Amino acid sequence: MPPLTDARKKSLRREMEALLGKGGVLSDPEELMVYESDGLTLFRALADFVVFPRSAGDVAALVKLANREGIPFVARGAGTGLSGGCLPTEGGLVISLMRMNRVLEVDYDNQIAVVEPGLVNLHLSWAVGPQGFYYAPDPSSQQACTIGGNIANNSGGPHTLKYGVTTNHVLGLEVVLPDGELVWLGGRTRDAQGYDLVGLFVGSEGTFGIATKIVVRILKKPQAVKTVLAVFDQVDQASEAVSAIIARGLVPAAMEMIDQLTIEAVEDAFGCGYPRDAAAALLIELDGLAAGMAAQAERVVQACRDCGARDVREARDEAERALLWKGRKSAFGAYGRVSPAYMVMDGVIPRTKLPYVLGRVNAIAAAHGLRVGNVFHAGDGNLHPNILYDPRKPGEEARVVAAGGEILKVCAEVGGSISGEHGIGLEKADYMPFIFSEADLACMQRVKDAFNPAGLCNPGKIFPTNKACVEVGPAYRPHPIEEKGLAQRF
Amino acid sequence: MPSALPDQLRRIVGAPHVLTGVECSPYVVEGRTPEAVVFPGSQEEVAAAVTLAAEQGLPVTPWGGGTKMWVGAPPSRIGLVLATKRLDRILEHEPGDLTVTVEAGLTFDRLQAELGQRGQWLSLDPPASDRATIGGILASDASGPRRHLYGTARDLVIGLTVIGADGRAVRGGGKVVKNVAGYDLPKLYIGSFGTLGIVVEATFRLRPRADVDRLVVARFDRLADAGQGARAVLGSDLIPSALELADGEALRRLGLGGAAALLLGLDGIAPQVDWQVDELERLLKSRGVVDQRVLDGDAREETWRALGALGRPGADTVAAVMRWALLPMQTAELMEAGAAAARRHGMGAAMTAHAGVGIVTAVLSGSADPGPVSATLEEWRSLVTAARGHAMVSWAPLAVKERVAVWDAPGPTLRLMRSIKERLDPRGILNPGRFVGGI
Repeated sequence: MPPLTDARKKSLRREMEALLGKGGVLSDPEELMVYESDGLTLFRALADFVVFPRSAGDVAALVKLANREGIPFVARGAGTGLSGGCLPTEGGLVISLMRMNRVLEVDYDNQIAVVEPGLVNLHLSWAVGPQGFYYAPDPSSQQACTIGGNIANNSGGPHTLKYGVTTNHVLGLEVVLPDGELVWLGGRTRDAQGYDLVGLFVGSEGTFGIATKIVVRILKKPQAVKTVLAVFDQVDQASEAVSAIIARGLVPAAMEMIDQLTIEAVEDAFGCGYPRDAAAALLIELDGLAAGMAAQAERVVQACRDCGARDVREARDEAERALLWKGRKSAFGAYGRVSPAYMVMDGVIPRTKLPYVLGRVNAIAAAHGLRVGNVFHAGDGNLHPNILYDPRKPGEEARVVAAGGEILKVCAEVGGSISGEHGIGLEKADYMPFIFSEADLACMQRVKDAFNPAGLCNPGKIFPTNKACVEVGPAYRPHPIEEKGLAQRF
Repeated sequence: MPSALPDQLRRIVGAPHVLTGVECSPYVVEGRTPEAVVFPGSQEEVAAAVTLAAEQGLPVTPWGGGTKMWVGAPPSRIGLVLATKRLDRILEHEPGDLTVTVEAGLTFDRLQAELGQRGQWLSLDPPASDRATIGGILASDASGPRRHLYGTARDLVIGLTVIGADGRAVRGGGKVVKNVAGYDLPKLYIGSFGTLGIVVEATFRLRPRADVDRLVVARFDRLADAGQGARAVLGSDLIPSALELADGEALRRLGLGGAAALLLGLDGIAPQVDWQVDELERLLKSRGVVDQRVLDGDAREETWRALGALGRPGADTVAAVMRWALLPMQTAELMEAGAAAARRHGMGAAMTAHAGVGIVTAVLSGSADPGPVSATLEEWRSLVTAARGHAMVSWAPLAVKERVAVWDAPGPTLRLMRSIKERLDPRGILNPGRFVGGI
């Protein structure tokens, strides 16, 4: 697409301001820069406009305008994504949903809530908390990330081990399709007739349209919660404990692993009570009925001990539990204590392959002269190796990218996946052939064409393509919301 | 050249695995007899058979255990029935990963028995599980009472392989429990009734088997009271794996008696189950409960099995079966209204519901005269539509299907569904005519 002329931009700006008001359109390059990347600051691209609709009608009008002009558009929530999924790769329009952030309705009897896409994930749990409910998917960026963004990425979080990811909690979506038509997919009742368009839309990374209303399940808060910290002198012991707990028929709500390098960073930054000399720690949470909880916790403790844990203890109270979770959820921010920059990877492996793959990850990093910290959802086999580096050292960033690709290749080789929750976006589009055949990708492309025949809705994502339109590097910069301390990388 | 078809198929799968002529009679679909039935022994043979059919523009109807071939609109055309029963292997079960990969023709009970030996289970309880195959269960998105806690196939499938209309294998998802790489194609194929591809392989997430599993039957004098009981359970700390609401006629057929009841599945470790049984009693005491009893062992299994069988044709008295999707709190009221409507048409009705998720199975009985049967089904659909729910005829004789649409009138999303269908099956050979909007 040829770039828009200044005159064209001016007239489009006027038209969009008439719709959204003066404050509803950004087009000054300085203002646009805030939106040039998401949480993965390795990639940047400038839009021509960032716009702030207040209603589904606004969104539909903007999408129709984009179609009329033939300009690409992409929806954006809080911009906490970690794969470049909401980047405007070819100029055009960024449609920010941040002004559509209301809880529209809560039906406690039927245990559903209807929300707008710009609602911050945690704010939904806050809204329904007083009635004893919560929204289960809990990405670590949940203080900042939006439900609409969660829909795009099918986001997970620590507690998805027991409760499932976003797609397991969404019943219906009001959607502006890529041609501007407003339709409902699914609804408030289950088992909508026809193809499972909701299931298809969730996780489509913004390429099937823009959700403007979302019907989610809300869950009753569990009666009881128990949090156990198990400390190991060897990483392999911790990995084996994960399998042992599963093998004993337990389904913890969460089972997270934190390695030594990460523990040191966390303790330097926050002092959360993790032992600095441990090779690895497991943070294990059980929830559910109070009856039998002690017996289950005992089974967990015993499994950890049998695998060689040197210390296993339960959080004594809510304060200690909160502190342990703070250490886990803030780990990414804490890497700043031990490294000027890091790149977070996201791969999935069968959990029984943990010891082997963690060994390979360390070997790959070492071969590239890099250090790696691991903090991840061990129960799901969802790895987050964080490669530490110094962007001021020439060539180091290229080595990080190369090591990242090799790590994902290992995940694929053991039967895993190249993304557990961060999505493919721009970052991993070229890695898709690691796990999908040409026929698989062709089928996905056909489904995409059914939703998005003109290809204007978030182009250049997911499918292998060249990245010529996107600036890579030159150096890591913290995302604005990270600087404000609103979010951590996960 | 149609006459060459059987020979061509025999070359692909071997002579013993092709049926023609009168041999096809057990594979008649809604009164239509296929030209041939083929039993491929491998995914490659499925692919070759579909490719052959595609070349000839011949429709392909997948057939698993044949337990749900009466679901959907009658096929617009029929050519080749592709039976998956020879694809019946468990390909991979790694207990430590809590995942299993199986071929589509494996029957559900056989898989469950194998998993049970390793202390695990696939947390799905579809009807007719002794004959129903994995592929058929996925294609029809079959589920049972335990979906209340454990969800349906869409929550349990982590990877799926289908043979598409062009004969090529397409895989979506993978073998790990968490995966957001690429579009979630398994969701598209689950519940698509074979109209987009033929399921040949699936990978599931599993759960450890519970130490203790009980079925609690709490009986009430009135269905409305049982409905309020369900509401109380949903608002409590209880975590039942199943929460079923049954009316008097359903209870009579189950041999349980009474005017209305809640049936709860409670599983877990012993202290959890014991506490919940006591808590349930406390909770329902002030809500008009008549009695509460706990079933275990064979009695428990037989009751669950019979409950699943209620909504299946076979018994002479079943005239039609409808499935409603409602909000959970609407179920009791609509069940009563539906039964009253049936009586007005001189018919009987037995109703059960997955009360926590709002799915009602409404079984119409009495006269086989298509007049009153159709009239009742239409009235049921009106009731459900007025409540902003959905209704589908899950079984009815052909004479009734000629009068009453199987599916609700599709809304504006039909355009999207057709667009997907046209792109994945441009010649319309995969199970044509059975699905929503004539897809």
